[in-house]
Amino acid sequence: MNMRIPILKLHDCLLVSIQWELDDQTALQFQEDLLHKIHETSARGVVIDFTSIDFIDSFIAKVLGDVISMSKLMGAKVVITGIQPAVAITLIELGIRLEEVMTALDLEKGLEKLQRELGD
Amino acid sequence: MMDSSVKIINEWDIVAARQLGRNVAKELGFGTVDQARITTAISELARNIYLYAGQGEIMIEKVESGTKKGMTIISRDEGPGIPDLRKVMEDGFSTSGGLGAGLPGVKRLMDEFSIESTPGKGTFIQSVKWLR
Amino acid sequence: MRKKIYQYVQSHSDEILNEWIELMRTEADERAVQAMSDHMFVKTSAEFVDLVVSNFSETEEAFHERAVDFSEKIVRLGWPLTMMTDGLRVFGQIVENGMQKDGTIDHSSYFEFMGEINNWMFPMYKTITQAYTTSWERTVSLQKIALQELSAPLIPVFDKISVMPLVGTIDTERAKQIMENLLEGVVRHRAEVVLIDITGVPVVDTMVAHHIIQAAEAVRLVGAKCTIVGIRPEIAQTIVNLGINLEDVTTTSTMKKGVEQALAMTSRQIVEVQE
Repeated sequence: MNMRIPILKLHDCLLVSIQWELDDQTALQFQEDLLHKIHETSARGVVIDFTSIDFIDSFIAKVLGDVISMSKLMGAKVVITGIQPAVAITLIELGIRLEEVMTALDLEKGLEKLQRELGD
Repeated sequence: MMDSSVKIINEWDIVAARQLGRNVAKELGFGTVDQARITTAISELARNIYLYAGQGEIMIEKVESGTKKGMTIISRDEGPGIPDLRKVMEDGFSTSGGLGAGLPGVKRLMDEFSIESTPGKGTFIQSVKWLR
Repeated sequence: MRKKIYQYVQSHSDEILNEWIELMRTEADERAVQAMSDHMFVKTSAEFVDLVVSNFSETEEAFHERAVDFSEKIVRLGWPLTMMTDGLRVFGQIVENGMQKDGTIDHSSYFEFMGEINNWMFPMYKTITQAYTTSWERTVSLQKIALQELSAPLIPVFDKISVMPLVGTIDTERAKQIMENLLEGVVRHRAEVVLIDITGVPVVDTMVAHHIIQAAEAVRLVGAKCTIVGIRPEIAQTIVNLGINLEDVTTTSTMKKGVEQALAMTSRQIVEVQE
């Protein structure tokens, strides 16, 4: 029943689009897969798109926050994109701030932001 | 299938509980933001059961009071219970190494929230979201 | 006895009306008298007396319907509820005095009269107050919706820049509404910077500041930046005195500065055109 989230490589960046509701196992598997992929490709940036996700609870938020910190340790900057208004509101009300995270409205703007950050 | 419940035994049941919750919320006519609040609250409650009590139950009921309509979420388990209720209702308190958003977060997401817990017996949490 | 009362009321309806208007003018709530022109007052009074009299001849449902219609009308006209309840009391008094005067009731039949008039009045009290409060509640809830609708529009002023002016007091319910409008607007207009203008917010206390900070954080999560503009001197003072931490949120005093900053954030500026 484990579904893996596809991770695409685009130049020195990785692109991830999360298309279905995350259960705990998928989220943890994704954490592992992404870190391996960063290692494998020496990617300098990651964009994770959440446009199709309509809810994030504290567990998934924690996995996400962790994967962002871990990626940073491995030298890859992460931008998350497409967080829906409803998701943003519930995260804030839960008290989750995802403080150090870079965000953008959509995948395209996320990539632009990443390029700027990486200084290309 | 308005009033229903989901037994929480393994991690997949968390997904089942929140899907049920989202469907009921949608049926009752909650907007997207409230749907997300309800789904998230259920997920937090179900995960608490799974992590701390081992097993339990999430019950979802629609409620009516006067002209108000809404939805009740009940979380019930026969786990170890919570020794210090005041402490778990403080922001930032967590015994699982999570973000500690847990119960205070649920309280903020919902309109009404009450909790009863007896150490050694279990925990009963009832929360309500009203349709605006 | 019921018949006697009815007969009396029917045959003296003009007198009762005049006396009622006279008494209500002096007794009633000044607001009610001032709320409308003399002509309207007389007309509405006539309708009220008519309604009361119709209670004799009409079925319960028909009376209820009339009471609802009339209540809706006077809620709109601004008559208070006391005007209705006092009105009924005064009406009863007039009938009592009148019937005593012309000898229809005397000491021996007084108790029977009182019993009958109470039987007649009490259900009417109930129906009328109920009808009044129902239409009053509906008016209030409509106003609440109207208030919510005007509560917080998000206005796109430039490409990538939107403004949300906040006016009036912010309570928890409104704060939630504002947050939803704000985030949905940001996503819809693809705004990169939002300026929240709090010039029109009279008081910024800890709770209001908390809501504003939350809104700013949520805006960041969906992928935009947020600046609070319109920080007046007294607001800056309260914020610091209350120990509210607004460090993580960009703020400026005026909309002009805010717009300049927003343009800079999106790598643009306004230049004068050389002809």
